[in-house]
Amino acid sequence: MIQDLFALIFGVFATIFIYSFLWKENPLSRAIEHLFVGMAAVYTLAGMYDAAMTQAIWGTQRIEQGNFIWLIPILISLMYFFFFTKKYFYLYRYPVSIVVGIMAGMMICGMIQSNFLAQIQSTARDLPLIGAGVWEWSTVPGTGFPGLNSLIIIIGTITALSFFFFTWEHKGALGVSTKIGRYFLMATFGAAYGSTVMARISLFIGRLRFLYETTFDESGILVNAWYIIPIAVACVIIVALWLRSRPEAKPPEPAPKPEKPKSKG
Amino acid sequence: MSLSSIAKIDRRYLYVLLFIFVTLPLLYPLKLPIPIGEHAKRVYSKTEDLAAGSIVIESFDFGPSTRPENFPQAKAHLFHVRERGMKVVALAFWPSGAPIGEDALRQVYGSDFPNIPEYGTEVVYLGYVPGAEVGMQTFADNTATAKGTDHYGTAIGSLPLMQQCQSAADFDLWAEWASGTPGEQQVIQFVQGRHGGPSAVPIVVGSTAVSVPGMMPFYLTGQIYGILNGLAGAGEYEFLLSIDYGYTYAQGPSLDAQSVGHVLILLFIIIGNIGYLLTRSKGGKS
Repeated sequence: MIQDLFALIFGVFATIFIYSFLWKENPLSRAIEHLFVGMAAVYTLAGMYDAAMTQAIWGTQRIEQGNFIWLIPILISLMYFFFFTKKYFYLYRYPVSIVVGIMAGMMICGMIQSNFLAQIQSTARDLPLIGAGVWEWSTVPGTGFPGLNSLIIIIGTITALSFFFFTWEHKGALGVSTKIGRYFLMATFGAAYGSTVMARISLFIGRLRFLYETTFDESGILVNAWYIIPIAVACVIIVALWLRSRPEAKPPEPAPKPEKPKSKG
Repeated sequence: MSLSSIAKIDRRYLYVLLFIFVTLPLLYPLKLPIPIGEHAKRVYSKTEDLAAGSIVIESFDFGPSTRPENFPQAKAHLFHVRERGMKVVALAFWPSGAPIGEDALRQVYGSDFPNIPEYGTEVVYLGYVPGAEVGMQTFADNTATAKGTDHYGTAIGSLPLMQQCQSAADFDLWAEWASGTPGEQQVIQFVQGRHGGPSAVPIVVGSTAVSVPGMMPFYLTGQIYGILNGLAGAGEYEFLLSIDYGYTYAQGPSLDAQSVGHVLILLFIIIGNIGYLLTRSKGGKS
Protein backbone atom coordinates (compact mmCIF):
# COMPACT_ATOMS: atom_id res chain seq x y z
CA MET A 1 0.00 0.00 0.00
CA ILE A 2 1.12 3.53 -0.76
CA GLN A 3 0.72 4.49 2.92
CA ASP A 4 3.46 2.00 3.82
CA LEU A 5 5.82 3.58 1.29
CA PHE A 6 5.05 7.02 2.67
CA ALA A 7 5.59 5.77 6.24
CA LEU A 8 8.94 4.31 5.24
CA ILE A 9 10.15 7.52 3.54
CA PHE A 10 8.86 9.74 6.31
CA GLY A 11 10.36 7.42 8.95
CA VAL A 12 13.82 7.71 7.41
CA PHE A 13 13.61 11.51 7.17
CA ALA A 14 12.31 11.81 10.73
CA THR A 15 15.06 9.54 12.10
CA ILE A 16 17.88 11.41 10.39
CA PHE A 17 16.42 14.83 11.25
CA ILE A 18 15.94 14.01 14.92
CA TYR A 19 19.48 12.62 15.26
CA SER A 20 20.83 15.79 13.63
CA PHE A 21 20.19 17.31 17.06
CA LEU A 22 23.47 15.67 18.13
CA TRP A 23 25.30 18.03 15.79
CA LYS A 24 23.36 21.00 17.16
CA GLU A 25 19.77 22.07 17.57
CA ASN A 26 18.42 23.01 14.16
CA PRO A 27 15.06 23.71 12.49
CA LEU A 28 14.76 20.14 11.14
CA SER A 29 15.27 18.41 14.48
CA ARG A 30 12.96 20.93 16.15
CA ALA A 31 10.25 20.40 13.53
CA ILE A 32 10.26 16.62 13.99
CA GLU A 33 10.39 16.98 17.77
CA HIS A 34 7.32 19.23 17.73
CA LEU A 35 5.59 16.91 15.28
CA PHE A 36 6.24 13.93 17.53
CA VAL A 37 4.90 15.68 20.62
CA GLY A 38 1.87 16.96 18.74
CA MET A 39 1.07 13.61 17.15
CA ALA A 40 1.49 11.77 20.45
CA ALA A 41 -0.87 14.23 22.16
CA VAL A 42 -3.48 14.05 19.41
CA TYR A 43 -3.27 10.28 19.17
CA THR A 44 -3.77 9.93 22.93
CA LEU A 45 -6.66 12.40 22.86
CA ALA A 46 -8.34 10.62 19.95
CA GLY A 47 -7.88 7.21 21.58
CA MET A 48 -9.35 8.39 24.85
CA TYR A 49 -12.25 10.20 23.18
CA ASP A 50 -13.08 7.13 21.11
CA ALA A 51 -12.86 4.86 24.15
CA ALA A 52 -15.03 7.18 26.24
CA MET A 53 -17.68 7.44 23.54
CA THR A 54 -17.69 3.68 22.99
CA GLN A 55 -17.66 3.01 26.71
CA ALA A 56 -20.26 5.47 27.88
CA ILE A 57 -22.54 6.23 24.97
CA TRP A 58 -22.63 3.67 22.19
CA GLY A 59 -21.49 0.48 23.89
CA THR A 60 -23.66 -2.27 25.26
CA GLN A 61 -25.49 -1.36 28.50
CA ARG A 62 -24.67 2.31 27.95
CA ILE A 63 -26.72 5.48 27.55
CA GLU A 64 -27.99 4.31 24.18
CA GLN A 65 -29.45 1.30 25.98
CA GLY A 66 -31.15 3.54 28.56
CA ASN A 67 -28.45 3.22 31.23
CA PHE A 68 -28.42 6.89 32.19
CA ILE A 69 -26.01 6.51 35.11
CA TRP A 70 -23.25 7.07 32.55
CA LEU A 71 -24.39 10.69 32.30
CA ILE A 72 -22.82 11.37 35.70
CA PRO A 73 -19.17 10.75 34.70
CA ILE A 74 -19.77 12.56 31.40
CA LEU A 75 -21.09 15.65 33.21
CA ILE A 76 -18.26 15.53 35.75
CA SER A 77 -15.66 15.29 32.99
CA LEU A 78 -17.26 18.19 31.08
CA MET A 79 -16.70 20.33 34.18
CA TYR A 80 -12.98 20.27 33.34
CA PHE A 81 -13.74 22.88 30.67
CA PHE A 82 -14.51 25.46 33.34
CA PHE A 83 -10.74 25.78 33.56
CA PHE A 84 -11.01 28.21 30.66
CA THR A 85 -13.40 30.60 32.40
CA LYS A 86 -12.53 33.06 35.12
CA LYS A 87 -16.02 33.32 36.56
CA TYR A 88 -16.69 29.58 36.99
CA PHE A 89 -13.12 28.42 37.49
CA TYR A 90 -14.06 27.03 40.92
CA LEU A 91 -16.26 24.42 39.22
CA TYR A 92 -13.15 23.00 37.55
CA ARG A 93 -11.88 22.01 40.98
CA TYR A 94 -14.69 19.47 41.51
CA PRO A 95 -13.62 16.92 38.86
CA VAL A 96 -10.00 17.42 39.88
CA SER A 97 -10.80 16.75 43.53
CA ILE A 98 -12.89 13.69 42.63
CA VAL A 99 -10.04 12.21 40.56
CA VAL A 100 -7.43 13.03 43.21
CA GLY A 101 -9.64 11.53 45.91
CA ILE A 102 -10.29 8.31 44.00
CA MET A 103 -6.61 7.90 43.10
CA ALA A 104 -5.45 8.64 46.65
CA GLY A 105 -7.87 6.09 48.05
CA MET A 106 -6.84 3.44 45.53
CA MET A 107 -3.13 4.17 45.86
CA ILE A 108 -3.05 4.06 49.64
CA CYS A 109 -4.62 0.60 49.76
CA GLY A 110 -2.55 -0.77 46.89
CA MET A 111 0.78 0.74 47.86
CA ILE A 112 0.65 -0.19 51.53
CA GLN A 113 0.28 -3.82 50.57
CA SER A 114 2.60 -4.08 47.56
CA ASN A 115 5.26 -1.42 48.13
CA PHE A 116 5.38 -1.31 51.93
CA LEU A 117 4.29 -4.47 53.74
CA ALA A 118 5.47 -6.93 51.09
CA GLN A 119 8.87 -5.21 50.89
CA ILE A 120 9.36 -5.17 54.68
CA GLN A 121 8.27 -8.78 54.86
CA SER A 122 10.75 -9.78 52.17
CA THR A 123 13.64 -7.84 53.73
CA ALA A 124 12.89 -9.36 57.15
CA ARG A 125 12.74 -12.85 55.63
CA ASP A 126 16.21 -12.37 54.15
CA LEU A 127 17.74 -11.05 57.35
CA PRO A 128 18.86 -14.18 59.27
CA LEU A 129 22.65 -14.30 59.54
CA ILE A 130 22.75 -17.52 61.55
CA GLY A 131 21.31 -20.85 60.49
CA ALA A 132 21.88 -23.90 58.37
CA GLY A 133 23.32 -23.14 54.97
CA VAL A 134 23.33 -19.35 55.44
CA TRP A 135 27.10 -19.11 54.86
CA GLU A 136 27.29 -21.79 52.20
CA TRP A 137 27.42 -21.08 48.46
CA SER A 138 23.81 -21.21 47.24
CA THR A 139 22.86 -23.67 44.53
CA VAL A 140 20.47 -21.07 43.07
CA PRO A 141 22.40 -19.36 40.24
CA GLY A 142 23.30 -15.73 40.85
CA THR A 143 22.54 -15.85 44.57
CA GLY A 144 26.00 -16.38 46.11
CA PHE A 145 26.21 -16.53 49.93
CA PRO A 146 22.74 -15.79 51.41
CA GLY A 147 24.33 -14.63 54.68
CA LEU A 148 26.54 -12.12 52.88
CA ASN A 149 23.52 -10.83 50.96
CA SER A 150 21.66 -10.37 54.25
CA LEU A 151 24.60 -8.49 55.73
CA ILE A 152 24.75 -6.17 52.71
CA ILE A 153 20.99 -5.59 52.89
CA ILE A 154 21.18 -4.73 56.61
CA ILE A 155 24.16 -2.40 56.25
CA GLY A 156 22.86 -0.84 53.02
CA THR A 157 19.34 -0.19 54.35
CA ILE A 158 20.47 1.34 57.66
CA THR A 159 23.32 3.45 56.29
CA ALA A 160 21.37 4.70 53.26
CA LEU A 161 18.48 5.71 55.53
CA SER A 162 20.92 7.46 57.88
CA PHE A 163 22.11 9.62 54.98
CA PHE A 164 18.68 11.28 54.94
CA PHE A 165 18.69 11.85 58.70
CA PHE A 166 19.23 15.60 59.08
CA THR A 167 18.21 16.18 62.68
CA TRP A 168 21.80 15.71 63.90
CA GLU A 169 25.02 16.83 62.29
CA HIS A 170 26.73 14.08 60.29
CA LYS A 171 29.68 13.60 62.70
CA GLY A 172 31.14 10.64 64.59
CA ALA A 173 29.25 7.35 64.20
CA LEU A 174 26.50 9.04 62.20
CA GLY A 175 29.14 10.58 59.92
CA VAL A 176 30.66 7.14 59.20
CA SER A 177 27.22 5.68 58.61
CA THR A 178 26.19 8.45 56.20
CA LYS A 179 29.46 8.08 54.31
CA ILE A 180 28.88 4.34 53.83
CA GLY A 181 25.25 5.09 52.93
CA ARG A 182 26.44 7.55 50.31
CA TYR A 183 28.52 4.80 48.67
CA PHE A 184 25.50 2.51 48.61
CA LEU A 185 23.42 5.27 47.02
CA MET A 186 26.17 5.96 44.46
CA ALA A 187 26.28 2.26 43.55
CA THR A 188 22.50 2.34 43.09
CA PHE A 189 22.67 5.42 40.89
CA GLY A 190 25.52 3.81 38.94
CA ALA A 191 23.38 0.74 38.25
CA ALA A 192 20.51 3.00 37.17
CA TYR A 193 22.87 4.94 34.89
CA GLY A 194 24.17 1.70 33.35
CA SER A 195 20.62 0.58 32.64
CA THR A 196 19.82 3.96 31.12
CA VAL A 197 22.79 3.70 28.76
CA MET A 198 21.70 0.17 27.84
CA ALA A 199 18.16 1.37 27.11
CA ARG A 200 19.28 4.33 25.01
CA ILE A 201 21.67 2.21 22.95
CA SER A 202 18.85 -0.30 22.41
CA LEU A 203 16.65 2.45 21.00
CA PHE A 204 19.52 3.67 18.80
CA ILE A 205 20.03 0.12 17.52
CA GLY A 206 16.30 -0.10 16.84
CA ARG A 207 16.47 2.98 14.63
CA LEU A 208 19.61 1.75 12.86
CA ARG A 209 18.00 -1.60 12.10
CA PHE A 210 14.99 0.25 10.72
CA LEU A 211 17.28 2.28 8.46
CA TYR A 212 19.33 -0.70 7.26
CA GLU A 213 16.70 -3.43 7.03
CA THR A 214 13.28 -1.97 6.23
CA THR A 215 12.12 -2.54 2.70
CA PHE A 216 9.02 -1.66 0.69
CA ASP A 217 8.44 -4.21 -2.05
CA GLU A 218 4.96 -4.03 -3.55
CA SER A 219 3.38 -3.42 -6.96
CA GLY A 220 6.76 -3.68 -8.67
CA ILE A 221 8.24 -0.89 -6.50
CA LEU A 222 11.30 -1.77 -4.44
CA VAL A 223 12.50 0.84 -1.94
CA ASN A 224 15.06 0.08 0.73
CA ALA A 225 15.07 2.51 3.64
CA TRP A 226 18.78 3.14 3.24
CA TYR A 227 18.22 4.48 -0.29
CA ILE A 228 16.66 7.55 1.32
CA ILE A 229 19.40 8.16 3.89
CA PRO A 230 21.63 10.23 1.52
CA ILE A 231 18.69 12.49 0.61
CA ALA A 232 17.84 13.07 4.27
CA VAL A 233 21.52 13.69 5.14
CA ALA A 234 21.75 16.12 2.19
CA CYS A 235 18.78 18.03 3.63
CA VAL A 236 20.58 18.31 6.98
CA ILE A 237 23.77 19.55 5.25
CA ILE A 238 21.79 22.16 3.26
CA VAL A 239 20.21 23.43 6.47
CA ALA A 240 23.64 23.48 8.15
CA LEU A 241 25.10 25.56 5.30
CA TRP A 242 22.09 27.87 5.35
CA LEU A 243 22.48 28.37 9.11
CA ARG A 244 26.15 29.19 8.61
CA SER A 245 25.48 31.69 5.82
CA ARG A 246 22.96 33.58 7.92
CA PRO A 247 24.26 36.64 9.72
CA GLU A 248 24.44 35.98 13.42
CA ALA A 249 21.51 37.43 15.28
CA LYS A 250 22.47 40.30 17.51
CA PRO A 251 21.97 39.59 21.18
CA PRO A 252 19.05 41.57 22.58
CA GLU A 253 20.03 44.88 24.10
CA PRO A 254 19.89 44.93 27.88
CA ALA A 255 16.82 46.57 29.30
CA PRO A 256 17.44 50.12 30.55
CA LYS A 257 18.00 50.34 34.27
CA PRO A 258 15.02 51.74 36.12
CA GLU A 259 15.60 55.26 37.27
CA LYS A 260 15.92 55.80 40.95
CA PRO A 261 12.91 57.61 42.34
CA LYS A 262 13.79 61.16 43.17
CA SER A 263 13.59 61.83 46.84
CA LYS A 264 11.07 64.41 47.78
CA GLY A 265 12.18 67.47 49.60
CA MET B 1 47.41 15.07 23.22
CA SER B 2 47.72 14.54 26.95
CA LEU B 3 45.21 12.53 28.92
CA SER B 4 44.28 15.60 30.95
CA SER B 5 43.05 17.35 27.79
CA ILE B 6 40.57 14.55 27.12
CA ALA B 7 37.91 16.41 29.05
CA LYS B 8 37.98 19.08 26.33
CA ILE B 9 37.25 16.71 23.40
CA ASP B 10 34.18 17.73 21.43
CA ARG B 11 31.48 15.24 22.37
CA ARG B 12 30.43 14.94 18.73
CA TYR B 13 33.57 12.89 18.00
CA LEU B 14 32.32 10.40 20.59
CA TYR B 15 28.92 10.25 18.85
CA VAL B 16 30.62 9.47 15.53
CA LEU B 17 32.74 6.75 17.16
CA LEU B 18 29.68 5.27 18.83
CA PHE B 19 27.78 5.33 15.53
CA ILE B 20 30.60 3.46 13.77
CA PHE B 21 31.08 0.90 16.53
CA VAL B 22 27.34 0.18 16.77
CA THR B 23 26.84 0.02 13.01
CA LEU B 24 29.63 -2.42 12.19
CA PRO B 25 28.25 -5.38 14.21
CA LEU B 26 24.82 -4.77 12.68
CA LEU B 27 26.27 -5.10 9.18
CA TYR B 28 28.79 -7.82 10.07
CA PRO B 29 27.40 -9.75 13.07
CA LEU B 30 30.05 -11.00 15.50
CA LYS B 31 27.88 -13.91 16.74
CA LEU B 32 28.98 -13.42 20.33
CA PRO B 33 27.82 -16.09 22.79
CA ILE B 34 24.67 -15.29 24.78
CA PRO B 35 24.57 -16.09 28.48
CA ILE B 36 20.89 -16.60 29.33
CA GLY B 37 20.03 -14.66 32.48
CA GLU B 38 18.05 -16.10 35.37
CA HIS B 39 15.33 -13.46 34.90
CA ALA B 40 14.60 -14.50 31.32
CA LYS B 41 14.78 -18.20 32.19
CA ARG B 42 12.08 -17.71 34.80
CA VAL B 43 9.75 -16.05 32.28
CA TYR B 44 10.35 -18.96 29.92
CA SER B 45 9.90 -21.68 32.55
CA LYS B 46 6.74 -20.07 33.92
CA THR B 47 5.20 -20.04 30.45
CA GLU B 48 6.37 -23.61 29.81
CA ASP B 49 4.84 -24.83 33.06
CA LEU B 50 1.35 -23.59 32.25
CA ALA B 51 -1.06 -26.13 30.85
CA ALA B 52 -2.53 -25.82 27.37
CA GLY B 53 -5.76 -23.86 27.55
CA SER B 54 -4.53 -21.56 30.32
CA ILE B 55 -5.61 -17.94 29.96
CA VAL B 56 -2.76 -15.46 29.50
CA ILE B 57 -3.27 -11.69 29.60
CA GLU B 58 -0.91 -9.85 27.27
CA SER B 59 -0.89 -6.18 28.15
CA PHE B 60 0.82 -3.79 25.71
CA ASP B 61 1.56 -0.78 27.90
CA PHE B 62 4.18 1.03 25.90
CA GLY B 63 4.41 3.46 23.02
CA PRO B 64 6.43 3.81 19.82
CA SER B 65 9.35 5.39 21.71
CA THR B 66 10.26 2.09 23.41
CA ARG B 67 9.09 -0.23 20.66
CA PRO B 68 12.63 -1.48 19.80
CA GLU B 69 12.91 -2.94 23.30
CA ASN B 70 9.35 -3.98 24.18
CA PHE B 71 8.03 -5.22 20.85
CA PRO B 72 10.43 -8.18 20.30
CA GLN B 73 9.81 -9.29 23.90
CA ALA B 74 6.04 -9.23 23.49
CA LYS B 75 6.11 -10.86 20.07
CA ALA B 76 8.36 -13.71 21.24
CA HIS B 77 6.15 -14.34 24.28
CA LEU B 78 2.99 -14.28 22.17
CA PHE B 79 4.56 -16.86 19.87
CA HIS B 80 5.48 -19.02 22.87
CA VAL B 81 1.98 -18.82 24.30
CA ARG B 82 0.40 -19.70 20.95
CA GLU B 83 2.77 -22.64 20.45
CA ARG B 84 1.88 -23.97 23.91
CA GLY B 85 -1.83 -23.88 23.03
CA MET B 86 -2.76 -21.22 25.57
CA LYS B 87 -5.56 -18.71 25.24
CA VAL B 88 -4.66 -15.06 24.89
CA VAL B 89 -6.58 -11.99 25.97
CA ALA B 90 -4.56 -9.05 24.67
CA LEU B 91 -5.20 -5.43 25.57
CA ALA B 92 -3.49 -2.09 26.15
CA PHE B 93 -3.87 0.41 28.97
CA TRP B 94 -1.94 2.96 26.89
CA PRO B 95 -3.73 4.43 23.85
CA SER B 96 -0.47 4.25 21.89
CA GLY B 97 -0.07 0.59 22.83
CA ALA B 98 -3.26 -0.44 21.01
CA PRO B 99 -1.94 -0.40 17.40
CA ILE B 100 1.35 -1.94 18.51
CA GLY B 101 -0.50 -4.79 20.17
CA GLU B 102 -2.52 -5.39 17.03
CA ASP B 103 0.70 -5.40 14.99
CA ALA B 104 2.23 -8.04 17.27
CA LEU B 105 -0.89 -10.20 17.02
CA ARG B 106 -0.89 -9.92 13.23
CA GLN B 107 2.76 -10.97 13.10
CA VAL B 108 2.14 -14.01 15.31
CA TYR B 109 -1.38 -15.11 14.33
CA GLY B 110 -1.18 -14.09 10.67
CA SER B 111 -1.84 -10.96 8.65
CA ASP B 112 -5.58 -11.82 8.44
CA PHE B 113 -5.99 -11.29 12.19
CA PRO B 114 -8.71 -10.93 13.53
CA ASN B 115 -10.36 -12.77 10.63
CA ILE B 116 -8.94 -16.11 11.73
CA PRO B 117 -10.87 -19.19 12.87
CA GLU B 118 -9.47 -19.13 16.41
CA TYR B 119 -10.47 -15.51 17.08
CA GLY B 120 -12.91 -15.39 19.97
CA THR B 121 -12.11 -18.88 21.23
CA GLU B 122 -8.29 -18.91 21.47
CA VAL B 123 -7.41 -15.25 21.18
CA VAL B 124 -9.21 -11.95 21.74
CA TYR B 125 -7.95 -8.42 21.28
CA LEU B 126 -9.67 -5.80 23.43
CA GLY B 127 -7.52 -2.89 22.24
CA TYR B 128 -7.26 0.20 24.43
CA VAL B 129 -8.94 -0.12 27.80
CA PRO B 130 -9.42 3.38 29.26
CA GLY B 131 -8.91 4.47 32.84
CA ALA B 132 -5.26 3.53 33.46
CA GLU B 133 -5.06 2.24 37.07
CA VAL B 134 -8.83 2.41 37.49
CA GLY B 135 -9.22 0.53 34.20
CA MET B 136 -6.81 -2.17 35.39
CA GLN B 137 -8.68 -2.61 38.63
CA THR B 138 -12.04 -2.70 36.88
CA PHE B 139 -10.75 -5.21 34.34
CA ALA B 140 -9.46 -7.47 37.10
CA ASP B 141 -12.76 -7.22 39.02
CA ASN B 142 -15.00 -7.77 36.00
CA THR B 143 -13.58 -7.84 32.49
CA ALA B 144 -16.90 -6.98 30.83
CA THR B 145 -17.30 -3.81 32.91
CA ALA B 146 -13.90 -2.47 31.86
CA LYS B 147 -14.76 -2.65 28.20
CA GLY B 148 -18.02 -3.70 26.60
CA THR B 149 -16.59 -4.52 23.20
CA ASP B 150 -13.35 -5.83 21.74
CA HIS B 151 -11.07 -3.72 19.53
CA TYR B 152 -13.28 -4.42 16.52
CA GLY B 153 -16.61 -3.55 18.12
CA THR B 154 -17.82 -7.08 18.88
CA ALA B 155 -19.69 -7.33 22.19
CA ILE B 156 -17.51 -9.09 24.76
CA GLY B 157 -20.43 -11.26 25.85
CA SER B 158 -20.57 -12.89 22.43
CA LEU B 159 -16.92 -14.03 22.56
CA PRO B 160 -16.59 -17.52 24.07
CA LEU B 161 -13.10 -16.82 25.47
CA MET B 162 -14.33 -13.76 27.38
CA GLN B 163 -17.04 -15.88 29.00
CA GLN B 164 -14.25 -18.01 30.45
CA CYS B 165 -12.24 -14.93 31.43
CA GLN B 166 -14.54 -12.90 33.64
CA SER B 167 -12.20 -11.69 36.38
CA ALA B 168 -8.67 -12.03 37.79
CA ALA B 169 -9.63 -15.42 39.25
CA ASP B 170 -9.55 -16.74 35.67
CA PHE B 171 -6.12 -15.31 34.75
CA ASP B 172 -3.33 -17.91 34.79
CA LEU B 173 -0.58 -15.47 33.86
CA TRP B 174 -0.33 -11.72 33.33
CA ALA B 175 2.38 -10.78 30.83
CA GLU B 176 3.05 -7.07 31.18
CA TRP B 177 5.00 -5.31 28.42
CA ALA B 178 5.65 -2.00 30.11
CA SER B 179 7.68 1.15 29.88
CA GLY B 180 6.01 3.49 32.36
CA THR B 181 2.76 4.20 34.16
CA PRO B 182 0.43 2.35 34.14
CA GLY B 183 2.78 -0.59 34.11
CA GLU B 184 3.98 -3.48 36.22
CA GLN B 185 3.67 -1.64 39.56
CA GLN B 186 0.02 -0.84 38.89
CA VAL B 187 -0.65 -4.48 37.94
CA ILE B 188 0.94 -5.54 41.23
CA GLN B 189 -1.11 -3.03 43.20
CA PHE B 190 -4.49 -3.18 41.51
CA VAL B 191 -4.65 -6.69 40.08
CA GLN B 192 -2.34 -9.01 41.97
CA GLY B 193 -2.61 -7.26 45.37
CA ARG B 194 -6.42 -7.33 45.32
CA HIS B 195 -6.85 -10.83 43.92
CA GLY B 196 -4.86 -13.28 46.00
CA GLY B 197 -1.21 -12.23 45.56
CA PRO B 198 1.60 -13.66 43.43
CA SER B 199 0.42 -17.27 43.61
CA ALA B 200 -3.05 -16.39 42.28
CA VAL B 201 -2.00 -13.92 39.57
CA PRO B 202 1.64 -14.52 38.57
CA ILE B 203 3.16 -11.63 36.65
CA VAL B 204 5.98 -11.71 34.12
CA VAL B 205 7.30 -8.42 32.85
CA GLY B 206 9.11 -7.29 29.74
CA SER B 207 10.50 -3.87 30.32
CA THR B 208 12.90 -1.25 29.06
CA ALA B 209 16.36 -1.65 30.59
CA VAL B 210 16.09 1.74 32.27
CA SER B 211 13.11 0.57 34.36
CA VAL B 212 14.53 -2.73 35.54
CA PRO B 213 16.47 -1.51 38.63
CA GLY B 214 13.19 -0.10 39.97
CA MET B 215 11.53 -3.51 39.47
CA MET B 216 14.13 -5.56 41.28
CA PRO B 217 12.56 -5.15 44.76
CA PHE B 218 9.33 -6.61 43.36
CA TYR B 219 11.22 -9.43 41.65
CA LEU B 220 13.05 -10.32 44.87
CA THR B 221 9.78 -10.51 46.79
CA GLY B 222 8.27 -12.78 44.13
CA GLN B 223 5.59 -10.24 43.17
CA ILE B 224 7.14 -10.30 39.69
CA TYR B 225 7.99 -13.85 38.66
CA GLY B 226 10.39 -13.07 35.84
CA ILE B 227 11.72 -10.11 33.86
CA LEU B 228 12.86 -9.64 30.28
CA ASN B 229 15.41 -6.87 30.56
CA GLY B 230 15.26 -4.62 27.52
CA LEU B 231 16.67 -5.72 24.20
CA ALA B 232 19.00 -8.21 25.89
CA GLY B 233 16.01 -9.89 27.56
CA ALA B 234 14.22 -10.09 24.21
CA GLY B 235 17.32 -11.66 22.63
CA GLU B 236 17.67 -14.20 25.45
CA TYR B 237 14.00 -15.19 25.12
CA GLU B 238 14.24 -15.48 21.35
CA PHE B 239 17.32 -17.67 21.76
CA LEU B 240 15.49 -20.01 24.17
CA LEU B 241 12.55 -20.21 21.78
CA SER B 242 14.86 -20.87 18.83
CA ILE B 243 16.18 -24.00 20.57
CA ASP B 244 12.80 -25.50 21.51
CA TYR B 245 10.42 -24.12 18.89
CA GLY B 246 12.57 -23.01 15.95
CA TYR B 247 11.71 -19.35 16.50
CA THR B 248 13.81 -16.90 14.49
CA TYR B 249 16.57 -15.50 16.67
CA ALA B 250 16.55 -12.01 15.17
CA GLN B 251 18.19 -10.00 17.94
CA GLY B 252 21.69 -11.48 17.52
CA PRO B 253 23.18 -8.54 15.57
CA SER B 254 21.46 -6.09 17.94
CA LEU B 255 23.01 -7.76 21.00
CA ASP B 256 26.43 -7.75 19.32
CA ALA B 257 26.03 -4.03 18.59
CA GLN B 258 24.88 -3.39 22.14
CA SER B 259 27.87 -5.24 23.61
CA VAL B 260 30.32 -3.34 21.42
CA GLY B 261 28.57 -0.04 22.27
CA HIS B 262 28.82 -0.81 25.99
CA VAL B 263 32.52 -1.64 25.75
CA LEU B 264 33.13 1.65 23.96
CA ILE B 265 31.19 3.63 26.58
CA LEU B 266 33.11 1.86 29.36
CA LEU B 267 36.35 2.89 27.66
CA PHE B 268 35.08 6.49 27.44
CA ILE B 269 34.25 6.43 31.15
CA ILE B 270 37.64 4.97 32.13
CA ILE B 271 39.60 7.42 29.94
CA GLY B 272 37.44 10.32 31.11
CA ASN B 273 38.03 9.44 34.75
CA ILE B 274 41.78 9.12 34.22
CA GLY B 275 41.76 12.54 32.56
CA TYR B 276 39.74 13.96 35.43
CA LEU B 277 42.09 12.52 38.08
CA LEU B 278 45.17 13.78 36.23
CA THR B 279 43.67 17.27 35.92
CA ARG B 280 42.86 17.28 39.62
CA SER B 281 46.31 16.01 40.62
CA LYS B 282 47.85 18.94 38.70
CA GLY B 283 45.67 21.35 40.61
CA GLY B 284 43.51 22.21 37.61
CA LYS B 285 39.80 22.74 37.57
CA SER B 286 37.76 19.57 37.45
